[in-house]
Amino acid sequence: MEFKSDKLENGLVIIGEVNKSAKSAAVGFFVKTGSRDETERINGVSHFLEHMLFKGTDKLSALEVNEAFDRTGAQFNAFTSEENTVYYAAVLPEYLVEVTELWAQLMRPALRDEDFDIEKNVIKEEIAMYKDLPSFDVMDRCRILHFDGHPCGNSVLGSEESIGNLTAEQMRDYFASRYAPNNMVLACAGNFDWDEICSLAANSCGSWQRQTVRRKLDHSEGSKKKERVEKPNLVREHICLMSAGVSAQDPRRFAASLLGTIIGDDVGSRFFWELVDKALAEAASMQFGAMDGTGAFCSYIRCSSENVTKVLDIVKGIFDDLVKDGVAEDELTKAKNKILSALVIKNELPMGRLVDLGFNWTYLQRYQTIEDDVNAIKAVTVDDVHSLIKQFRPGDFTQLSLGPALKS
Amino acid sequence: MAENFDKHTLKNGMVILGEPMEAVESVAFGFMLPAGAACLPDGCCGASNVIADWIFRGAGDKDSRQLSDAIDGLGLVRGRSVGSSHISIGAALESGNLAQSLDLYADIILSPSLKDDQFELARQLAIDDVLSLDDDPRQKVMLNLREKFYPSPLGRSTVGDIEELKALTAQNSGQIIKDKFNLSQTIFSVAGKYDFDDVCRQLEGLFETEQNGNDESMKLGQRQGKYTHIRNDGAQVHIGLMTETVKPTDEDYYNARIAISVLSGGMSARLFTEVREKRGLCYAIGARYHGLKGAAGIMCYAGTTPDKAQETLDCIVGEFNKLGEGITKDEIARAKVGLKSSLILQSESSSSRAGAIGSDHYILGRVRSLDEIKDQIEATSVDSVLAFLRANPFEGFTVVTIGPKQVNIE
Repeated sequence: MEFKSDKLENGLVIIGEVNKSAKSAAVGFFVKTGSRDETERINGVSHFLEHMLFKGTDKLSALEVNEAFDRTGAQFNAFTSEENTVYYAAVLPEYLVEVTELWAQLMRPALRDEDFDIEKNVIKEEIAMYKDLPSFDVMDRCRILHFDGHPCGNSVLGSEESIGNLTAEQMRDYFASRYAPNNMVLACAGNFDWDEICSLAANSCGSWQRQTVRRKLDHSEGSKKKERVEKPNLVREHICLMSAGVSAQDPRRFAASLLGTIIGDDVGSRFFWELVDKALAEAASMQFGAMDGTGAFCSYIRCSSENVTKVLDIVKGIFDDLVKDGVAEDELTKAKNKILSALVIKNELPMGRLVDLGFNWTYLQRYQTIEDDVNAIKAVTVDDVHSLIKQFRPGDFTQLSLGPALKS
Repeated sequence: MAENFDKHTLKNGMVILGEPMEAVESVAFGFMLPAGAACLPDGCCGASNVIADWIFRGAGDKDSRQLSDAIDGLGLVRGRSVGSSHISIGAALESGNLAQSLDLYADIILSPSLKDDQFELARQLAIDDVLSLDDDPRQKVMLNLREKFYPSPLGRSTVGDIEELKALTAQNSGQIIKDKFNLSQTIFSVAGKYDFDDVCRQLEGLFETEQNGNDESMKLGQRQGKYTHIRNDGAQVHIGLMTETVKPTDEDYYNARIAISVLSGGMSARLFTEVREKRGLCYAIGARYHGLKGAAGIMCYAGTTPDKAQETLDCIVGEFNKLGEGITKDEIARAKVGLKSSLILQSESSSSRAGAIGSDHYILGRVRSLDEIKDQIEATSVDSVLAFLRANPFEGFTVVTIGPKQVNIE
């Protein structure tokens, strides 16, 4: 593995990790923008814009874009989160330049009115689809409640209303202010020619104009509010818990991930043994999510309405025990083994590697080898985890439940 | 691409397959146990799910907790699934821990504790999983679709049936394990970094003495109903649609795969272009090949708001029916490169390869090399795909919808 980096004069960073033994290569444009960078009026624009990039440029129609990707056999897509929009493709090495060139062109989209109007329907269908996925819906609602006015609570999809009111002009303004080269990273991983990618970037992205781009970076402690929302067509109780954590820049993020695994990994965690193994809840998981300048622990639990009180009592007990007795050495070791295996296996694929490579640069502006991450995880001590528990009190959470009408 | 496969058959008939991969430090392994949903006795729908949980609740000299701790201690990224034909259990891990992991999995398969109290918990979780499906209409519609499309019991729900799960006992579940964990029909596969001689020697020691089970042939029933609607006051109508096509063993298999790719391979394929890009009817729309050993189909899903449901279904069926009328060279070329590159991209993952070689062996009786698959894909043409479509027209669709509104099926 060989790491390379370069920066164009307009601020576009290009990074690559070359692995000549890989059978494929992956490329991504990591744009540092998401729903947290939106105002209420244009909520959902980042994600809608991500869809609109596939609609082509002044020279390419939407169908031509899709055909151009499919001619390379690329597995390509994009995703938008609260703070990142990522466009990626995994391809055979011989197609990487072609696909990168295509992405580079798409980063300067036409944003035509007629495409905007049709795609608005697709976005509304996507909003409707997630409404029928309560496991997702509950997290979205809990995030809003937890961040309580902090921009990280902004919904990625937006609402039927905000999308309905959004204009193509507003989207073009948002695009102009956020898709600046100095707010993006072009990353490649796997089997590719670094020099080729660099000259491609210079030719195709060199004329993009630098901008001043800002983001509010306040930490959020979370509202700790508790709410229940009824939806008559639901059968199970879906519960989301959120509490504050460290940021993506904080070295303690590794300890926070391990704490999430100890409490809420799918199997073998405290949630698992107390709730799932005992068949009180069919799903109970907790994950730590590090963000720009802040972070959050997020749990999802699904159970019958009859078991809710018992389940929440047990959850409280788990967090109380955590404060009282901390975590055990062997618990931490198991969590490390699980996280390390998953990390190493994921990074064996260029596409898996690309994601870590791009995000590490987005948040830290530096290269982290897999070994750096492995060593950081191995170095976490029980005391590190204890001081996190003490500072962030994960048992002191925001709670949102989504479930059927209660029988009175 | 240099490729070689390892194969060894134990005296009891259990097959051991391997695919070494040079570029990885990981290894993935899987056991395919012939106790999938379709293999169950009548009246036990869901038992495979219960069993796949129950056997992990203590095995050999370890109780449930000790077993789980041992698995986690080795850093196993666990995989477990229930399909029509098999319960598959396995893991991906750092290659140095393979031998210890296989010891644990041999205990899980050969000497699970099967305690009554643990059975009740596993059964309750399986019941809860079935209940949860009502809150996941997309998954539910596809499960129902398979059930209605395939001749019974091939499409039997892999999640389960509430009433049958309630009636299930530790005793009959234990009997199913005894009858169905048939080593002569079990396939073990490993891919990544491993030493095949070591693996074989170890598995011989662990599994070779065991002789059990008989191969039972399965009687297939009728395909059920053309259209099923399940009322749910959600935001969308979830449409599942399936039509028959050739099995993986058929000489036209690759023509079928190319045809399906033209329909729904990439974002320039017909369904995505016509249903989503031009008409904005759906966010999620796609069709894929779904093959079992005994039957196969093209399986399509679309989710859309109620007022657009009919137009969406009509548009999809229209695209299926139009396919045989003509396909361009470019479409075939895109379908070919898409299939070939997804094959190669998957070949970098030890888990994907372990799964693929096991499934090949089960369905075809042999493992296909990537080169063979690539050559077969390359051998298709506009003419061969159109000839296939003429000889195998889509003769009817099984449709299941879940949502606030029904659709009309012609």
